[in-house]
Amino acid sequence: MANVTRLKERPEATAIEVAGLSHVYSGAEGGVAALEDISMEVVAGRFVVIVGPSGCGKTSLLMMLAGLRHQTEGTILCNGRPIQEPDPGRVGVVFQEASLFPWLSAADNVEFPLVLRGVSKDERRSRSEAMLRLVGLEGFGARYPHELSGGMKQRVSIARGLVQDPPVLLMDEPFAALDEQTRMTMGHELLRIWSATRKTVVFITHSLTEAVYLADEVLVMSARPGRIIDRIQVTLPRPRTYEMMATDTFGRLRDRIWQQIRKTSQPGLEG
Amino acid sequence: MRWPAPSTARWLILVGLLAFWELMPRTKIIPELFLPALSKTLTVLYTDRYDYIEALGVTIYEVAIAMVFACGLGILVGAVVGGVALLRNLLLPIFSSLYAVPIVILYPIFTAWLGIGSESKIAFAAIYGFFPVMLSTAAGIRTIDPQYVLAARSMGATLSQQIARVIIPASIPTVLTGLRLGGALTIIGVVVAEMLTSAAGIGYLVTRYRTILDSPRVFAAILMILALSVLFDVLARSVEKRTLVWQTACRSPKRSRSHLQTVPAGAPA
Repeated sequence: MANVTRLKERPEATAIEVAGLSHVYSGAEGGVAALEDISMEVVAGRFVVIVGPSGCGKTSLLMMLAGLRHQTEGTILCNGRPIQEPDPGRVGVVFQEASLFPWLSAADNVEFPLVLRGVSKDERRSRSEAMLRLVGLEGFGARYPHELSGGMKQRVSIARGLVQDPPVLLMDEPFAALDEQTRMTMGHELLRIWSATRKTVVFITHSLTEAVYLADEVLVMSARPGRIIDRIQVTLPRPRTYEMMATDTFGRLRDRIWQQIRKTSQPGLEG
Repeated sequence: MRWPAPSTARWLILVGLLAFWELMPRTKIIPELFLPALSKTLTVLYTDRYDYIEALGVTIYEVAIAMVFACGLGILVGAVVGGVALLRNLLLPIFSSLYAVPIVILYPIFTAWLGIGSESKIAFAAIYGFFPVMLSTAAGIRTIDPQYVLAARSMGATLSQQIARVIIPASIPTVLTGLRLGGALTIIGVVVAEMLTSAAGIGYLVTRYRTILDSPRVFAAILMILALSVLFDVLARSVEKRTLVWQTACRSPKRSRSHLQTVPAGAPA
C-alpha cells in the first residue's frame, strides 16, 4: 500500500487516451462494424462507467483497453504508452463472472499474477494478505472459490486485479451475476476500495442505477456499430450514499442515460 | 420402520447375492454345472492358489503395461488433437467413429503379428483403452471455459504458462474420467485377449476350465477378475477424490453424507 498515493501528485494526468478507435469483425459475409471512431480520455484517478445497449461492443472496447484484442484502427495509450498486449503492471482486469480458477484457493488466485512473474513466496503471501484485507476478506485466503458466495468471489477477483498495483483497473460487468442486494453492497464496497487506492477505473455495466451511483463520468454507447453518443458528468458529491439514489439529481441523470440508450436501441428490441 | 442408509443397503444387497450364490446350488435349484456354490468356488481357489496367483501376475503385468501405453499415448494424442483446431476438425470425427468399431475383431491380426504371448495382449488392450483416454482428454481441453484462459492472458501469462497453469489443471477432471474408463477397458481387453488365444493369464484359465466343464475353477477365475476390476476402480476413485477436492466439493458443498442431495441452481450470493 506504500505507493498508492503516487497518482495524487499529478491529478490531471491522462491515464487512458483512445483516439479514432474502430473495429471490424471479419465474418463470412464481409465485415461487421463493431466499434466506430471511438475517442475518449480518462483522467487519472477518475471512475468512468460505460453503458450501452446489449451487443454495442462495450466488452470489445474493454478487451482492447486490456490488450486482449486488437483493434482494426486507432490508438490506445495508457500513461502515454500504447497498449498492444496485456500488461498487468499497467492495467488490471476484473471479469464478468467469477473467472477465478476453481483449483486454487482464494489466496492462490490473488497471487496468480505474481506467480507468473516469479515473485518469491513470502512476498506473494504478504501481498495477497494485504489485498484480501483491502477487499474485506481477511482470513478467507484458504477458502476455495466454491466455498465463497458470489459477492465474495468478485471481491477476490478485485483483489487479483489490484495485486500488481496497476494504475488502471478495467471492470467488465463485474457484478452482473449478483443479486440486487449483493450488487448494491458490492458497489458500495468498490467505491470504498477505489477511494483507498485511487485507481483509474473503467467500469462496464447494464445497470443505469449502478452507473450513476459509481461514476464520475458516464459514457453512453450507441447500438452497433458502437459509438460514444453522450458523456455525462455525475456531479453527486462523494462519498456516495444510498440515500442519494432517491434524489432528483440522481433521477435526472439516470433518466438522461436511459433516454440516450432508448434512442439508439432498435425499435422492438428494448426492454 | 426407517429405511436403511444407502451404504448399508448396498452391503445388504451384496450379502444377499452371496447368500443366493451359496444356497441356490446347494438346494439343487440351480445345477452345479451352471453355478457352483460359493464355498466350493473358494475352496478350489485356495487349493489351486499358486496357479491362480501366477495367472493373476501375468494378467496384472499385461494390464499395467497396456495402461501405461493407453494412458500415456491417449493423453498425448488427446491433448494435441484437442488443442489444435485443424487436427481436431480433421481427426476427431475419425477417432470418434473408430471408437464405435468392435476392436476385438482386430485381435486375430495382432496374434498373427505379435504371437500369442503377452505382446499381443498388451498391444490389443492398449488400443482398446487408448480411445476413451484420448477422446476425453481432447474433450477436456476443448471444453475449458475460455474465460479462464482470457483471465490468465490478462494477467500476462505466456503460452506455456497458460498451458501449465490453466489448461492442464482445468482439464484434469475430464482426463481422470477418461483414465478410469480407459483403465477399465484395458483390463477387459487383456482378459478377453487371454480368453481368445493364449497360454497364460486369468482369461486363459477361464477358457481352459470351461472347455473341460470345471465350473468351480471357472468361477474362481471370474472372482479374481472381479477382484482386479473392483480394486482398480477403488484406486482410481481415490486418486480422483484426492486430486479433485475442488470439483467433488462443488457438487456437494456441505460435504453431506447423502451424495444424492441436489445443490440448488441459484448459488448463495
